[in-house]
Amino acid sequence: MLAVVLASVLMLGACSSVDQGGNGSPSKDISVGPSAGESDLYGPPAENAKQGGSLTVASMTEPPSLDPYHQASDARIQFTGLMYQGLMYESASGTALPLLAEDVSVSDDGLTYTFKLREDVMFHNGDLMTSEDVKYSYDYIRDAENGSPGAGDFQSIEEIETPDDATVVLTLSQPNSALLMTLTNKYGGVIPAGYFDSPDAENQMNVESVGTGPYKLVELRKNSNLTLASHEGYWGDEGPYIDEIVFEFMPTSAAIVVALQNARVDLAVLPRIQDAEQLQGAEGIAIETFPSLNHKALDLDGNYPPLDDVRVRQAIASAIDKSVVAQAAAPGQHQVLGTITAGMQDSWGLPLEEVPFQERDVERAKELLAEAGLEDGFDIDLTIINGYDWMNPAAVVITQQLDEVGIRVKTKKVELGTWIENFQQAKMGFTMNDWGSQPDPNLLFYRHFHANPEGSDFRNWDNAEASKLLDEGIATADQEERASIYKEFQKVLGETVPTVMLYSPEYLVARSTKLENYVQHPSGWFFGLVQAYLVE
Amino acid sequence: MLGMLTRRVAASVVTALLASVVVFLLVRAVPGDVVQQMLGQTSDPAAEQALRLFFGMDRPVHTQYFEWLGGAVRGDLGTAWVSGRDVLDLVGGALFVTLELTFLTLILATVVGVPLGLVAGIREGKVIDSVVQSFSVIGLSTPIFWFGLLLLIGVSAVLGWSPPLSYESPVQGLGANLQVMVLPVLSLALLQAAAYAQFVRQAVISAVGEQYVVTARAKGMPERVVLFKHILRNILVQLITFGGLLLIQILGGAVVIESIFGLPGLGRLLLTSISARDYPVVQGGLLVVVLMSLLVNLVIDVLYRVIDPRLKVG
Repeated sequence: MLAVVLASVLMLGACSSVDQGGNGSPSKDISVGPSAGESDLYGPPAENAKQGGSLTVASMTEPPSLDPYHQASDARIQFTGLMYQGLMYESASGTALPLLAEDVSVSDDGLTYTFKLREDVMFHNGDLMTSEDVKYSYDYIRDAENGSPGAGDFQSIEEIETPDDATVVLTLSQPNSALLMTLTNKYGGVIPAGYFDSPDAENQMNVESVGTGPYKLVELRKNSNLTLASHEGYWGDEGPYIDEIVFEFMPTSAAIVVALQNARVDLAVLPRIQDAEQLQGAEGIAIETFPSLNHKALDLDGNYPPLDDVRVRQAIASAIDKSVVAQAAAPGQHQVLGTITAGMQDSWGLPLEEVPFQERDVERAKELLAEAGLEDGFDIDLTIINGYDWMNPAAVVITQQLDEVGIRVKTKKVELGTWIENFQQAKMGFTMNDWGSQPDPNLLFYRHFHANPEGSDFRNWDNAEASKLLDEGIATADQEERASIYKEFQKVLGETVPTVMLYSPEYLVARSTKLENYVQHPSGWFFGLVQAYLVE
Repeated sequence: MLGMLTRRVAASVVTALLASVVVFLLVRAVPGDVVQQMLGQTSDPAAEQALRLFFGMDRPVHTQYFEWLGGAVRGDLGTAWVSGRDVLDLVGGALFVTLELTFLTLILATVVGVPLGLVAGIREGKVIDSVVQSFSVIGLSTPIFWFGLLLLIGVSAVLGWSPPLSYESPVQGLGANLQVMVLPVLSLALLQAAAYAQFVRQAVISAVGEQYVVTARAKGMPERVVLFKHILRNILVQLITFGGLLLIQILGGAVVIESIFGLPGLGRLLLTSISARDYPVVQGGLLVVVLMSLLVNLVIDVLYRVIDPRLKVG
């Protein structure tokens, strides 16, 4: 028996290594997934959708808790987006669409936002939502005393008023062109007024959801699964179609692949292209790719010699060939970046041909090092994080490329906890990074790159010109003017290299063919399940 | 016997206390804390401060320790920081899964390993001995995580079957429970059976050379009687000691196997809690592990004396 198993596994291994050979181009069974239209909430409208059924989704990450007010991690947000709703929705194309609001008007000075609320919005507990609930929710999150990691995003709000049950007026202390995107679904979400008055309220969110979203919580079992059921009183006409969704937390990708093959799982975002290759030809499974807002980067700490010399940073940028790095780390499933994440390149990005140091130039890199007095090169540690598999091949390629200009890199692998501690003390050094974002340039750039104390300037860049452009960007309402300001900012970013943005990976989604109309949102969150349906 | 028991229990309590101090300090020595983990890449000093106060992390470590110890002695292991659940509930639920895994594994390893070792030992140098020896070498040199994955992928490829994803307790449904447990138990048990067989074989070989076996055989006793009445009885103490060691080793292997097969056991709970820096869960979980190994050792000591009267005096 054992010998049979062994032999068949060896054969399997042999087959997949044949598939992997060649130039690593995307395999022919993997297709580009459908996309949501500009005004679509959650996903493209479903035609002939069937109601009912139970869907099992495999997830490698598990939400530490389901409290959208006090938990910042992406592992929480991807699930709670189905249960809690903000006033707005972050559309796949990067605009904020009204969600719990029906209509928004902004005063000419950009300081007053008036929201007309939808009628008949019902909480999971059966109560109807009013403007009081909206005021309570946003007042709670913006009060730093309440300890929400999202509080900083809501700082520009000065006052929230409720002239009547269906109207909310937000007054800002200064114009904030990213406000509508801030009111989407990452933090908070509207909950019944007074919810947190009860002492055990935070923990209660792991037992019972109190949002207005299309799905409500049935059960969260630690290290096991999360079960959601459709919300009967949901206000929307389109979706949700699936009655029950079970997210199974599965720590290894091999187990996920096996579960997909045996129809124990209907949907999974695959971590590696190898997993997709193992699933090729499997009956009843389709594999699709979707663009993401995630981006992989090499970050350079301005307080970490010799990276404090801008010429050294420019030399590093000149020495790196991003496309080779991306091809090694995410073969065939990536988009090479300039100075902005892939999902935002078309709307907000500096055209790639205008990005300084975008092309590899070894001679230029050597000249720059010589100018900085480092003609003999130097030794430097490159930090990578345990558990982020893409960093291993990427670090190997970067080490080789930098070696050609005389920079001798030693890779240092640290545990995530250690990395976060360094990060929060602004001691990142020379490190690989993995960043997510909301689809707005202010939310992507401000916290990262504005000088302290307004921004966090994780990389100790301390660039006054960049900070000034970021201030202008947030105060400008006109979208075209805004875009040109952010492009100007990206020129500064590209020229002085606090970061080398490498590539955005694409999501590799494996789904059972009985699941239809599923679109992966670029944030990686499971919004797309609301418009998806099951056929048998 | 009673005096021995009292001394051993007292020693166990001291060991447990020492271990709890070490665990308490160790989890705090790991870089990063729960607040940083919860806030992730958003770093807002006000929010950080609020959370630290909420968890009582601003107080001196010894105050936190004695408060925790006070609770633990009364059976209150506190509340998980990240999920807000009762630690005793979390650890208790997970412990059940791990104990089931451990005992099923121990039973299977014993049922397979001991007879194989006996046969190999008696038939030293024969073909059957070589087969058992090969099995032992393969078993002892196979990494658990690799073998677990191999079983999972292999069974799926050959039988077109994979285990259900959600753990059900035997009470909820025995069939569903066994379906979930079969591969994890097999992955652990085959390797532990190899270790057990190797050990039993050695014990039998050295017993066979002893005077009492020679005498028994010289008296013309049937081989069956020699094996079961003389050899097995004499090596029983060693077997039980080894079984105890194995039990603790299986607990260690469970951490790996639970993560591969997605079982909600103690090992996986500890692993996820350590990476979240959820100190109360780590402390509570490790305390239970420490208490369990102390209990196993205590039980073995008592068993020795029951089985081998010569030890009663000491």
